[in-house]
Order: sequence, then structure tokens, then C-alpha cells
Amino acid sequence: MGGNMLGYNELLSMFRENMVSIPLLTKKVALFQYGGNVVYANSLVDVLANVPLLNLIVSAIFWRPLFAILILPGLTGIMLALLYIIWFERKLTAKVQWRFGPLEISRSIGGLIQPLADGIRYFFQEVIVHREAHRPHFLQFPLLSFLPVLLPILVIPAGAIYAIRTPYAIPIAVGLIALIPIVIVAIGWASNSKYAFIGSMREVFMYFAYEIAMIIAAMAMVIAYGSADAFVIVEKQSIVPGILLNPFACLAFFIATIMATSRFPFEIPEADQEVVFGPFVEYTGIIFGVVMTLAYEKLYLLCLLLSILFLGGWNGPYIPLGDLSPAIWLYIKTIVLMMIFVFFRSIYGRYRLDQAMRIGWGSLLGLAFVSLGVGIGIACTGWL
Amino acid sequence: MAEKEIAIEVPAVPPLDIKSMTVPIPPGLIEECERKDEFMIFVGPQHGGSGHMRIIVRLKGDVITEAIPDPGYVHRGVEKLAENRLYIQNIPLVERPAIMDSANFNLGYVRAIERALDIEVPERAKYIRTILAELCRIGTHLYDAGILSVFLGHTTGFMWPFAMREMICEALMRISGARVTASYIIPGGVRRDVSKGVLEYVREVTFFIEKKTKDFEKIFIRNPVTIARLKDVAPISKKEAIKYGLVGPFLRACGVEYDVRAIEPYEVYDQLSWDIVVADDGDSYSRFLVRVNEIIQSINIIRQAIGILRSMPEGNVISPDVAGKKKKAKEEGEEKAEEKGPSDVKGKFYRFFGRLTLPAGEYTTLTEAARGTLLYTIVSDGQSTAPYRLRVVTPGWLYLKGFMESLKGCRLADLQAVYGSFGYFPPEADR
Repeated sequence: MGGNMLGYNELLSMFRENMVSIPLLTKKVALFQYGGNVVYANSLVDVLANVPLLNLIVSAIFWRPLFAILILPGLTGIMLALLYIIWFERKLTAKVQWRFGPLEISRSIGGLIQPLADGIRYFFQEVIVHREAHRPHFLQFPLLSFLPVLLPILVIPAGAIYAIRTPYAIPIAVGLIALIPIVIVAIGWASNSKYAFIGSMREVFMYFAYEIAMIIAAMAMVIAYGSADAFVIVEKQSIVPGILLNPFACLAFFIATIMATSRFPFEIPEADQEVVFGPFVEYTGIIFGVVMTLAYEKLYLLCLLLSILFLGGWNGPYIPLGDLSPAIWLYIKTIVLMMIFVFFRSIYGRYRLDQAMRIGWGSLLGLAFVSLGVGIGIACTGWL
Repeated sequence: MAEKEIAIEVPAVPPLDIKSMTVPIPPGLIEECERKDEFMIFVGPQHGGSGHMRIIVRLKGDVITEAIPDPGYVHRGVEKLAENRLYIQNIPLVERPAIMDSANFNLGYVRAIERALDIEVPERAKYIRTILAELCRIGTHLYDAGILSVFLGHTTGFMWPFAMREMICEALMRISGARVTASYIIPGGVRRDVSKGVLEYVREVTFFIEKKTKDFEKIFIRNPVTIARLKDVAPISKKEAIKYGLVGPFLRACGVEYDVRAIEPYEVYDQLSWDIVVADDGDSYSRFLVRVNEIIQSINIIRQAIGILRSMPEGNVISPDVAGKKKKAKEEGEEKAEEKGPSDVKGKFYRFFGRLTLPAGEYTTLTEAARGTLLYTIVSDGQSTAPYRLRVVTPGWLYLKGFMESLKGCRLADLQAVYGSFGYFPPEADR
């Protein structure tokens, strides 16, 4: 072993030094006092501390950066949000439309595991790669799409659970999320079919229409708070949340999020009656499952940003779960926002591409500039 | 014994060249598109927004320069099939093309037979027929509104009219026994009388639909997105509408006051008060609004007809000419039944109508079906029990040209909006 490389014990101690503090899992809990002595319930990590390999795995999972990426707000959080929000969307739409929605699978809990069942069905379907496709790209881009989905999690903190603390968190997150449309356009290009081409072009036009307004709205808040560090932003919202401070920015970001995630009434690139799922027209089986969830993953990320920028992030009454308490508050706010976004499906149809672009380049951009002015005003008066 | 391996030569290569496909485009069009920097896409027949047809669309950027229809995917040869069936057997056949609009299609055909035989239909039967025709008109308009909504991506606007249409189906079922394609109207009247309870039910259905139409108006008709998508899209002027031969609500949406029910009244349309719904704009939104308002008018007609039917004595729903012959046939049948025993199950209905012959000649009727003017022509040789020739011209086929012409200059996304605004129904047009 070279001198620079970490040994097993160094690695273990590195993990153990920076662990997420959760009662019973990583932190021992005081049960009662007995004659001046405090009796503790041992934590899971302490119990497994002397078991080789298992102690490394467990402490690696609870290591702060990895916990943020893998559990909350990362991969597991995304998956649970996906399963819940797809079920919720279908159930809510059904309720509005005098139907039942998913019911047959797990009838006792209202068909809650229907998205999981759909996922399993996708998994066992044949993946067809048609002749005209650019085969390697056609298969690799759906998998590469996880990069811009998971990378922003590195810089989006959830209270004490975070991977990287940086003063540039918001710009980095917005920039990384902006990579997702590029993957979608690449998917459409690799599909090499007419409808995929039209869908990709629509995606490109929509991308330009919302992205500028979204960035300006986010920057307006960064200017108002005087920092792009998520911790500072959340701390400054401890009394007045950002939505009351700069409602224009919130509205602009909100509308831009609808456009960015292809929610109704801006479900234009994938319009299934017009261009039959646009860029994803040629996909089948599990790869279709992957590309279909892309918009929902993006929605999750943007809702995380929206709650940090405007809804006070992880501020909330303490839940006795240690470091999980702020993360759970952030997660709840994100899920509630997602629930609002999916509700639009049952009220609106879809705009035409040129109308959506007129909205994006017109009123939305105007709103973003107004919010920028308000943000600069707040920064100048120094209220915060 | 070892099995001998047999090589099977199957040409498994699908045609990649567009020329080998049988598409109705003039030769050289693809090259022309290439030269003019245009994009040609085939919408349908396997497409979420095409129905059972193909539309070949030439695009310059996002704007449609030409739309070439390729209909005929659901052509079932109704006209030819009719030549090999008895007159009475054609009734279930002719109402098949337009599933929801069955009573109007039925009515046109039966009226042609009645014109040939010079049968006067009793008043009560006429009112029942009118109610049935208007119920089917409401059903078809709701169906088309649902399809328009889903073409605009509005799934709630799709589900609600279909749920409302369910009530129409239930009413048809209580009247005739079938949810759609009732085959209820026969030469000389209707199959059987409608009881008071059923009439009350139909009346309740009209109130239900009126109430729910108001909800539908809130969520879809007055929705800003719907208005943005339909207003000023694919407008047709009054002159063009007449030139392209538009019919029905689509002609009225362009400002032409033409309705067969008012101009050549049949059944009891001239005894009831109702308005011809006309709009001036001729765009997709007015094409839709005209049909929505026709639902209100139809509800009005049904209520009036039910009001009159209430005070009318029950029972007389078939013409005395037909009834007398039927009675004779019944007596004959009873004699025959004694000879034949229980094997004769066809009944008096079949025994009379089975031997129906029309006098030689040509009999034409015009009917206002839900989607427009419907023409039936029966050519009879005077001897046969089947028509020599049955001509059916459905409204869908008549306004296909106007539909395609109106698409020019629209954007690609408008294709489905215009499609839905015309309520084009390929099975009806293809027959």
C-alpha cells in the first residue's frame, strides 16, 4: 500500500467522524437516570462497530456526503417521491374525472404500489432498438441522464445533511439541472426518427423560453439574500419566507418550473396526441421507464430549489429524529410542491409551441425582470 | 428418422423506401419537398391523434403547407353489403358507420323506404323518433367534444362528456334495449311504444346533462388554454365553406343558415320551436361552440316532445298500413305455425318485413345527422326484396375536403385541434 492511500481503519474513522446524527441509528439515546448514572440505549453503528466490513458499510451509509446522495434528499428520496407522486397524480386526476384510478393492485391501500408494478412490467418488456437508431447513443443517453439528476444533490443541502457546502450552491444546482434538456435533445437525436426530431426541436425551443427567466428569478433571490449559500438563504428566511419577500420571483420560478418539467399546460415536447411522446417515441421497456421518469426527477430537483429559495427550506418545528428533522421538513415541502404541480393535469390542456414561447419570452421574462428589480431593491435597503 | 431441415425463404426486410408504400401522393412530391426544404410527415394510421386514417402533412418549418388525406382504412363496404340483404336487414347495417349517431342514420334509411311505399307514420311514433334522433345528436356532440378535449391534452374534458354520454346510452337502453345502434326505427313507425316511466327518465337525463354541461363549460369550454388553442385557428369564410361543400354544424359555424331539419322538415321538427345555431367566425372555436349550443337546442326539443307525448294516448306507434299487413301476416303465421310446429320462431315481424318490396324507382332522403347532411338513395327494381343499389353519402365524407383545406397555414400542433373541431369520424366517412 502506498503512503497516500487510506487504510481500512483510516477510512472507517473518516466515516465515523462525519456521520449523520440520528437517534438509535448513529447516536445513543438516554433512556433514564439511575442513581446519578445515565442509562443509554446503544446505537446501531456502535453495536456494529466491531463487526468487520459491516461496520465500514454501515458507517459509510451514514457518512454525511453519501447519506445525502443515497438516502435523503438523494436517490432513495427521489425514488419514493416518484412512486408516491405518480400514484398521487393518477389518483387525483381520477378523482376529478369521476373515476377510481389505480385500484386493482393492492386494493386495501388504494393501489399505492401501482407505479412499482408498472416499473416491474417495464423491466420485463423487450427493449427494441430500431434499425435507424444510433445504437450506442440510443442506449447510453437514458442512463447518462442520471448524472444531471444526481449531481445537483451534491450541492443542495437538507439541513445538516449535505455533501458539499459551497457559497455557489444555487448557481451550481441551476446549472446542473439545465443539463437535463441537453440529454433529452441527445435522446431525440439518437432516436433518428421524424417525430423524435420534432419533439427535440420543441424541447430546444421550450428550453430557451423558460431557462433565462428561471435563472433570473433564482438570481434575484440570491441578490436579495446576499448569498448563494443555501445555509445562509435558509437562515435569512427564518422569519419571513422568500415567497412573501419577493412573490414575483416565486411566481416566475413556479411557471418556469412548469415549463421545464413538461407539466400541463406546457406539456409540449412530449405531447402524445401530436408528436407521440416526442423525443421518447422509439423507446420501449425499461429504458422507456427511465426516460419517462426524467421529467419527474427534474420536478423533484426544482421543487427542492423552490422550497429552499422561497419556502424557508428546512425550517420547521423540531422532530425528535436528530439530523433527519430538517431533511424531513424539506422533503415534506418538496412533496407538497410536487403535488401542486401534478394537479394542473386535470385543469388544463396544452398550449401550442408558439404560444408557450410567447409566454416564456414575454410575460414570464418580464416577470423575472420585475423580480430582479425587487431583489436588487431588497438588497439595497438591507432588510435582511 | 432425422427430420430434414427445410429452409424457408421469407423476405423479412420491410420496405425502407417510401416509394414501395402505397400512399396516395403524386409522383415526385417527396423530391419536391426535399428541394423546397420542406418536411413531410405521415400522421397515422397508427398515431395517437389521427383516428383511423392517415394525413400526409407537408411542413415548412412548423407551418402546414399541404395536408393530403388518406382515408379508407375503415371502409366496410356498407353500400355493397346492402345490395345482398333484405330491406329490413339493412337497418342494423346502415347505422353501424356512426356508432353514437345510429338513430339519425336509421331514420334517413327508413324514411326512404316510407317514401317509396307512401306510408304515413302515426304522430306518436314521429315524436318518439324525434326524441331518439336528438338523443343521438347530443350523444355524438358529447363524444366529439371528448375527442377534441383529449386532442388538446385536456383529459378531464375527455372524461366528463363521456360520462355524460353514458346517461344518453342508458336512456337509449331504456327506450330500445340497446345502448347504441338500437335498430329501433322501422318502416311505418317504431318497434314498440315508450312507457311513461321511461319518458320521465329521459326528461331527467336532459336536466342532468344541462347541469353537467355547465360544469364542462367551466373546466373546458371557457378554459383560457382551450380558447387560445381554438380561437382563430383554421378559419373558413362563408364563401369557402360553400365552395368546399361543408355540411351541418361546420357550415353553420361559418355563418350559413342551413339545416335540413328546418328547410325540409321531417318528423315533427316543424311542430316544435327551436333555433338554428349559427356562428360567424368560422374558426375552430365557433365550430365547437355551435355543437355545444346544439346540445342545448336538442335538450329543448326533447323536453317539448316529451311534454306532447305525455298527453297523447299510448299504443299507436305503427302505421295502420303496416299494422294491417302485419296482422294478416300474423294470422298466416299462426296457420303456418300450426303446420310447422314450434320450429317457426321468426315471428310476424320477420314474416311481414322479410317480403317487403319497393316499387321500381329511385327514392332519396336528406337527414340532418349530428355531423351534417346525410343522404340516402335507394334504387329499387320493383321485384327484388333487396335494394338494387343503396347510396349513402355521410357528412364526414362531405366535409373532408374543407377539413383538409382549412389546415393550410396552421401549425403542426393545430392539426389535432382542427381535427377535433371538425369531429371527423373516419368510420362514418369511410362507410
